Amino acid sequence: MTTIYVLDVPENTSLPKVAAQDSTVTVGRVGPYFEIVAEGPLEIDRGATSCRHAVWYSIVAGVSHGTIVQHDKNALRVEPT
Amino acid sequence: MTPTEHRVRGVDHAAFPTFDPVATVRFYRDVLRFPVVHSVCAAGWGPEKHPDFIHFFFDIGNDDRIAFFYYFGHRPVGDPQARGDAWARLPEGTPDFFANSRHLAIHVESEEDLLEYRRRLDDSDWPVEMQVRHETIESIYTHDPNGYMIELTRALRPVTPQEDLDANLTIDALLDVLEEDPEPTLGTLLGRKAELIVARAADWERAQQAVQA
Repeated sequence: MTTIYVLDVPENTSLPKVAAQDSTVTVGRVGPYFEIVAEGPLEIDRGATSCRHAVWYSIVAGVSHGTIVQHDKNALRVEPT
Repeated sequence: MTPTEHRVRGVDHAAFPTFDPVATVRFYRDVLRFPVVHSVCAAGWGPEKHPDFIHFFFDIGNDDRIAFFYYFGHRPVGDPQARGDAWARLPEGTPDFFANSRHLAIHVESEEDLLEYRRRLDDSDWPVEMQVRHETIESIYTHDPNGYMIELTRALRPVTPQEDLDANLTIDALLDVLEEDPEPTLGTLLGRKAELIVARAADWERAQQAVQA
């Protein structure tokens, strides 16, 4: 399962909320991190998160069972490996 | 970490050479209004042919200081037109991000204070070159008369304990991946960091809760 970790700090909280809107995505917790798990590829639209650039480009704390194939001003996309 | 282990108390001074003390004093004393707090006038001595010099200090708050050396009769080495600063000129082709990576960031307490320094700089020969909201800080930048990049920065919010955990996991992951691959990528680092998060983050949170209880 494609998994990313995002630290729970105020400027990061919109990403797990946006991710959870996808029915194939589950958002859980590991300590102070959000654990965002997708059955297939994980895609997050940056505009929907309202993250400013500096936050957006440093928001991923960890990736397991996946590879980031896109992380630009439009979207974050992680493909399963 | 206990107070016994961590005994240092911030920056005493950070020192840089200058070939232009007139502009340096204008910039730090007259524009930024950092008080002159100390100076040393010394005759050259020692086995090496050391020039006579002035070592002068400006208060940057919190009793910390930025200091300069002015060496009488010593001329700059290297091409003065090349990019870089008074300490060194950089080779042709050095990218901007690398040239700007070394800088001094001075802390201010509030947005009001940051904007006050912005006004002082914008009214001078060294206006603010950029104002940026980073992840958790907001900063203004300029280069001083010696070419040194100076940042003034304020916190957008207090740092949380989990950010210290995250920083430690990042560093441990970086050291781990460098052991296996001298040229790792962000991707390999994030893979290793995910393993460390799974291994350590829940225990860290339980320990935090125990301390707070």
